[in-house]
Amino acid sequence: MRPSALLLLAAVSLCLAVAAPARTRPHYGGNLRLAIGEAPISVDPADVSPAGKSMPPSLSRLIFDTLVTLDARGQAQPALSPSWQVDPGNQRWLFSIRRGVAFHDGTGVSSDAVAASLRAANPNWKVFATGEAVIVECDAPTPDLPAVLALARYGIAKRTGGKVVGSGPFAINRWDAGKKLVLTARDDYWGGRAFVDSIEIEMGKSFREQTIALDLAKADIVQIAPDQTRHAVLEGRRVLSSAPTEWMALVFSRDVPSAQDGKLREALGLSIDRDAMNNVLLQGGGEPAGTFLPNWMTGYAFLFPTAVDLQRARQARNAVQQAPVWTLACDGSDPLARVITERIALNARDAGLTLQTTTSAVADIRLVRMPLPSLDAWVALGEFAGSLGLPQPKFDVDRLQQSANASTEYAAESALLQSQRVIPLLHLRTAVALSANVMGWQEDPDGSWHLQNVWLETGKP
Amino acid sequence: MRYAVYNSPINPLINLRIPGMLTPLFSRFFISVLFVLLFVVSGNAQNWAGAEGLLAGKIVAASGPKTMVLEVLNHSSLSAAVTDDIRRNLLTQLAVLGVRFVAPEQAAANVRVSLSEDMQSYVWVAEIRQGSNAPSVVMVSLPRSAVLTVEPAASAMVLRGVSLWSQPERILDVTVIDDNPARMLVLDANGVTSYRMQDNRWLLEQSVPVAHSRPWPRDLRGRLVLRRDKDHLFDAYLPGVYCRGLTGPPPAMTCFESSDPWPIGTDLFSLNASFTSSRNFFSGVLSPGVGNQTTAPPFYSAAAVPREHSTWWLLAAVDEKVHLLDGVTDQVAEKLGWGSDIASLRSGCGSGWQVLATGAGAGRSDAVQAFEVAGREPIAVSTPFEVSGAVTALWTESGANGVVAVVHNSETGGYEAFRLTLTCGR
Repeated sequence: MRPSALLLLAAVSLCLAVAAPARTRPHYGGNLRLAIGEAPISVDPADVSPAGKSMPPSLSRLIFDTLVTLDARGQAQPALSPSWQVDPGNQRWLFSIRRGVAFHDGTGVSSDAVAASLRAANPNWKVFATGEAVIVECDAPTPDLPAVLALARYGIAKRTGGKVVGSGPFAINRWDAGKKLVLTARDDYWGGRAFVDSIEIEMGKSFREQTIALDLAKADIVQIAPDQTRHAVLEGRRVLSSAPTEWMALVFSRDVPSAQDGKLREALGLSIDRDAMNNVLLQGGGEPAGTFLPNWMTGYAFLFPTAVDLQRARQARNAVQQAPVWTLACDGSDPLARVITERIALNARDAGLTLQTTTSAVADIRLVRMPLPSLDAWVALGEFAGSLGLPQPKFDVDRLQQSANASTEYAAESALLQSQRVIPLLHLRTAVALSANVMGWQEDPDGSWHLQNVWLETGKP
Repeated sequence: MRYAVYNSPINPLINLRIPGMLTPLFSRFFISVLFVLLFVVSGNAQNWAGAEGLLAGKIVAASGPKTMVLEVLNHSSLSAAVTDDIRRNLLTQLAVLGVRFVAPEQAAANVRVSLSEDMQSYVWVAEIRQGSNAPSVVMVSLPRSAVLTVEPAASAMVLRGVSLWSQPERILDVTVIDDNPARMLVLDANGVTSYRMQDNRWLLEQSVPVAHSRPWPRDLRGRLVLRRDKDHLFDAYLPGVYCRGLTGPPPAMTCFESSDPWPIGTDLFSLNASFTSSRNFFSGVLSPGVGNQTTAPPFYSAAAVPREHSTWWLLAAVDEKVHLLDGVTDQVAEKLGWGSDIASLRSGCGSGWQVLATGAGAGRSDAVQAFEVAGREPIAVSTPFEVSGAVTALWTESGANGVVAVVHNSETGGYEAFRLTLTCGR
């Protein structure tokens, strides 16, 4: 085994050990402090801002309950809605509303309030309040509606006079847009009071600033860049790493205009050395990707090749007489993205393609990074397609049979990839570093946090 | 509306009558046999036949019943032995469907089956290559089942665990009623569910909900205490709620908002402690007390330590120390390496009584170990009984002959209840 592989193995082992639950029962009390890179400009769950400017789902869920949640295996579990029913046809759904739940301003979470919140989040749905339930009518069969409603943007919010309140385990105590969020635990939360008394979140911090905050004991939880995870472990930090989840890909700004253009896109995809990117640039912080969804989630991603094939890349390139010079854009404030785009341009040159890297907003190709939107494969595919302007996966009645789940997801994902609008590159692991007193850390495979279950060893009962 | 998607219907009531008891000796033997049978049954392997047949059918539908080469690769958590079984059965199923297996150079189709998995299911993928055509892909998914492994190691005393029950929801406590047929009560956040043993399986009898007006605290705890008075079958204690279970018929349960202390002792050594209803620990107020001591530091769990003329109590306190109350003094032990859950057990081995304690480590698995309190120092007398997750409850049975341990399985995410007993070793 190579030394680098050994180091990675050691790092992963440490991560697994640290991720394990503590054996003592949780303590109540204390103030949990986080520093994060995102700088959201709104707390409203329905406010869909660009990446980095919207509230991370893990934080939004602290303030806003959803009707349904997904467990670590991607299965829908009751939340604000304890039960639900669907009509034949999978278009008309009835969700009962949990009794006795209150918004943070003390008013009850009624079916009217839930219906208004869902209408604001998705104007295309017809949502009606009926007794202690809401009816959601979709314009197409939506067998995965419970999983859709588990998305953070469908958090139930009450909006009055420019203020937005939720019914989640924490209430907003202080909010400085993009800078700081202070949350206070609610004693009467229907799902049980959170263990910590409050959470303070410093936002818009670079990875370096976050690490310094951790070292100076000014933060208990900070994010670690994927390419810095191994380094952080070797420094002796308490690092937790998710499964490979964050999707990094090249996205073309327009559909394939001609067969020749398709050949060139194929050549570009075959020229990219994903293994080298992962091993060298990311220090093993991810996995080469040939699909939207990682293999641990679908079980079929290995069918899509990720290996570099320069011979076939050149063949595809040479099938076209003249290749245009493509511009390749990335987020200029993301150092990892900049390094990756430069490497892609070098790989492309080996295949006879010319890419011009840029940080401009307008380009032929853009390097994108997207978190895994959902642990439900079908919903995640739909979210990817929606974000990238691709056609939504088509409803297939076979999906209702468990034995056919993987087949239908495979077919849908294949169709999305055949559009040649995207070239998947990598699935990155997300990582956090914790101070020694943070206990009970729970993270879903997609990297979602459950801060309501975190407790501090120094907390007082 | 057609069908409920989430809530499964409550099974019809099977038997509301509580049958007469057998003689204690026979019924104990009967229960033991049932436990062993249940334990053996729980270890059975998953049945793959349906999936093998389905995949074989899909392969033949895609390629036609022709000459073929089959390769099976395992990308999943299945063992090599299971992979071999699946390969053999696939060959059989394909042969039944008219496929002939030949040398690679004579095969019309080359089929590679990859045994993979996703978060919930095994995913078996067949890539079918015919000539120079692009391979066609067919696949089937089948749910993964959990496999229990409970193998106590040999030691001076051996801690044995018998699987009682498992379910996705958090189990708070389980009590087995020594009847014929045997019955079992399972307490969780929703209520108490009773089961009856029939054909080596626990069949659902009835579920009775726990009524409560305040939200349950996180790290919910609860205790079942078997009563078996005339019409009083059990008591259930949850944070801020007391429920009285009636024998019936029909069995029923009445719940009250209550701050009454929970019984934390056994039939032999009674002690009650007030539970803090919005938290996960006992406040430290004891009744009737340990000797002169009626208050103690807040604690998570307690274990009786019988002595010749009195009973001492060990408390696993919130301050992560273990306190020994002897009726007069509170002696603190700091570095025992115990977790938050302890319970006492009457085994007949050694001094007759042992204390079971969870570990304080932070691995993905936990362990329960037996200790004897010689003098005032606990000494390990068994090897650790390893479980595949965190122990979330450890309660002494009413008769103190067993301890119920609930484990949050770190692999499946579900909860499993075990009955732990000690047998005297070499």
